[in-house]
Amino acid sequence: MSRQLSLSDLDLPRRNGELAFDAPWQSRVFALAAAVVDHAFGGDREPFRQQLINAIAAEPGRPYWESWTAALEALAETLPEPPTA
Amino acid sequence: MSQDGHHPAAMSPVEQRVAALEALLTERGLVPEGFIEEVTRRYELEIGPMNGAKVVARAWADPQYKQRLLAEGTAAIAELGFGGPEGDHMVVVENTAAVHNVIVCTLCSCYPWPVLGLPPAWYKDPPYRARMVREPRTLLAEMGCHLPEDAEIRVWDSSAEVRYLVLPQRPPETEGMTEPELAGLVTRDSMIGVARL
Repeated sequence: MSRQLSLSDLDLPRRNGELAFDAPWQSRVFALAAAVVDHAFGGDREPFRQQLINAIAAEPGRPYWESWTAALEALAETLPEPPTA
Repeated sequence: MSQDGHHPAAMSPVEQRVAALEALLTERGLVPEGFIEEVTRRYELEIGPMNGAKVVARAWADPQYKQRLLAEGTAAIAELGFGGPEGDHMVVVENTAAVHNVIVCTLCSCYPWPVLGLPPAWYKDPPYRARMVREPRTLLAEMGCHLPEDAEIRVWDSSAEVRYLVLPQRPPETEGMTEPELAGLVTRDSMIGVARL
């Protein structure tokens, strides 16, 4: 869907080393957190940040974006149930 | 068996979890169409250390801007058009011959996104987060940043609110350079404080 446009051919800002994301799922879960912060918490990043701190503290050796995923899962648990029609 | 694109490769466990999150959050109406692609595009192409380099070059070239930058970081950075998530409360700390500043986030990965983009992998890893507070001089030296014995090191731990940016010292013999040329000298690591120019 979104992957037909390959970014790898473009002149990305690599001068300082790595790109922001190593794999598509990492950029997706990054953007999903942004979506929740923007659209469920009115732009307040603090609830997600607290979950991320907890997720990193729970498993310090876990790869970063997996902790990020765990944090977003935990935050999603706190969202109110949608109204049933 | 043909690989015609209709049978996606098996997803790893974490990819499955992210797909489940995406389905759940989309169902809740929290992920507008195109949102993921737009956020990804901006952080891969538009938001990165090249923004911070422009801020630093302006501060080197314009003493009045530098004054504003050190006094009111967020507002001065916004003058160049940079702001947004993780940049609401920016504090810029100036390196001098006597003082070297370095930034860290001990608890997670707080970082000044609007001017530096997303943090490099090592910034988010436990050794950097722990050791930059405990033994900054040793860690800086291991990272290739050797400081004079008498230089004071100030370590800034990004808190819930504040995000820091290091203003590196202007290199010698750059007097005749234009602002874009100066920006070309500024590295991401020098704005984190793990390198000098």
